[in-house]
Amino acid sequence: MAQTITIDPVTRLEGHGRITLKTNADGEVCEAFFSVTQVRGFEKFCEGRPYYEMPALMARICGICPVSHLIASAKACEAIMAVNIPPTAAKLRRALNLAQTIQSHALSFFYLASPDLLLGMESDPAERNIFGVAKMHPELGRAGVGLRRFGQHMIELLGRKRIHPGWVVPGGVTEALDAAKRDEILALLPEAYANATMALAAYKQIAGRFQDEVESFANFPGLFMGMVSEAGRLEFTDAKLRMIDAEGLVLVDGMGAAQFDQYIGEAVEPYSYMKFPYLKSLGYPRGVYRVGPLARLNIASHTGTPLADAELNEFKKLAKGPVLGSFHYHHARLIEILHGIEVIEQLFSDPTILDKHVRATAGVNQQEGAGIAEAPRGTLMHHYKVDEKGLMKWANLVIATGQNNHAMNKGVLQVAKRYVKSDKLTEGMLNRVEAVIRTFDPCLSCSTHAFGQMPLVIELLAPDGAKLDEVRRP
Amino acid sequence: MTTTAAMQPADHPAHALLLACGNTLRGDDGVGWRIGCAVAEQVAGHGLTVVMTRQLLPEHAEAISAADVVVFVDCSAGSAAGTVSTVAVEAAEKMPGILTHHLDPGSLLRLALDLYDRSPAHAVAITVGGESFELSDQLSMPVKAAVPRALEAVRSALHGVPVA
Repeated sequence: MAQTITIDPVTRLEGHGRITLKTNADGEVCEAFFSVTQVRGFEKFCEGRPYYEMPALMARICGICPVSHLIASAKACEAIMAVNIPPTAAKLRRALNLAQTIQSHALSFFYLASPDLLLGMESDPAERNIFGVAKMHPELGRAGVGLRRFGQHMIELLGRKRIHPGWVVPGGVTEALDAAKRDEILALLPEAYANATMALAAYKQIAGRFQDEVESFANFPGLFMGMVSEAGRLEFTDAKLRMIDAEGLVLVDGMGAAQFDQYIGEAVEPYSYMKFPYLKSLGYPRGVYRVGPLARLNIASHTGTPLADAELNEFKKLAKGPVLGSFHYHHARLIEILHGIEVIEQLFSDPTILDKHVRATAGVNQQEGAGIAEAPRGTLMHHYKVDEKGLMKWANLVIATGQNNHAMNKGVLQVAKRYVKSDKLTEGMLNRVEAVIRTFDPCLSCSTHAFGQMPLVIELLAPDGAKLDEVRRP
Repeated sequence: MTTTAAMQPADHPAHALLLACGNTLRGDDGVGWRIGCAVAEQVAGHGLTVVMTRQLLPEHAEAISAADVVVFVDCSAGSAAGTVSTVAVEAAEKMPGILTHHLDPGSLLRLALDLYDRSPAHAVAITVGGESFELSDQLSMPVKAAVPRALEAVRSALHGVPVA
């Protein structure tokens, strides 16, 4: 008998989502849907506000990656102002964005993903969390805490607040860096290096145990998009976008924020509030693509920092062309952490980082502007239109997680087909369905974090909607 | 957000930590922050670390493991408005099954023990009962009136006064 299996909510994600699996008469999964069930409305309620308020308003979208929203928003505002920001302001923003990437990737890897990786997909769900990791692998637990602390403390030193710092503004940043803060940040680097290299070594030791998951976790040919320099160096803040196909062929290059909507369209599906971006020239769904750490490392030819370059070379040996298996997002995240630490060291060792000229000023010189940045989870785009007084008339945001939407759905179907049999539901099967989503580290609700325990409920429904069975995670 | 401040060495043990939790935009939930700010403002010097945070996080385990005395301050939705309670905290035996973004003091002590093999000799949770958690940056009258008593409880706890 055909059935519907619902996992609602999905746990260890940033926000709330629901997974629905439909089985055919033979009990095999034939369809899968990952639904995002929240509406935020940021694009609408900002209408009428002055454009220069946008970075502070838009940063509230997310409590994990507010810096990326600050930067993409400020860049959209700077397009409206038609100004170039001072070089030191650009360097400081770059450092801030990397600090955020480090703490966000550490959260994803150590707190959310490592319980599956270190304790096993089939392990007791009561133990399969950061506390279980702390008990069994305290050195890795300490590394995770240490990298989170490093990134958060650096954000606090630069922006005065760990979450939603107001430091990034249209035109640059509000305050120059002083030598004491620079020295404090530099002093934190040795421990950060040690934690990142230890985590990479540990991951590479255990990754071989998950060959089955590597094969089945959203492993399919597809497109990738990310930010790189003209020379192909990994970039997060001030460069243009490149898109490649599954063979590594460049489909689009040098895509700036202003061209984003010329290339990228957004489809909608009836089962989710999250949109499905795609490359217009290929149409939907053929033009859907992945973003984030895996995409960035597939696109970049090099990172520009020695330790991360050595790791990237090793990473690229995982496949002849782009690495297609989404399980490798975890590995890519750790390499990006290492790269971020190296770039921060480079930036803060440069005496010009203390330059006092960190903000440009101007009024409204254009009535439309767009900005892009690489958020931890992938490319982020803010696009605004204002009236002649600079009041917001329209906004469109394309968020990283949305650009992975199709891949997550495809991954859920791939994993469910492999592991879920409706006549015998097990915790391990269902955890893998959730784990494939976690590889993308999606940020669904962003600024509204879940509070307390999120139970997992799986419902088996007959075609007429009658509940056949229900399983609840304790 | 996290901020730190210091207190006179003579006022407390060598390594004391005050973790003040709450949300200042949610009415009485901001009482923990206000108490934390008051402690930070009233004292000067070195030794006491005051951490203001919206919620307890795994990252706090490291600072907890390095402290001899830890005082958690928060609002309680489960007790009568203005009621100040001091409860000794022990490391939890059993950890929460699913971690989201929230931890309780006992779980955090357990995490400090598992990660760093150390937890404070003395830990207490001081709560102030709240009645209004709507969007507001003001405390209700009973909670506002309870702040001096809560501050006194914090001072006692920092001196290691046993919980009655």
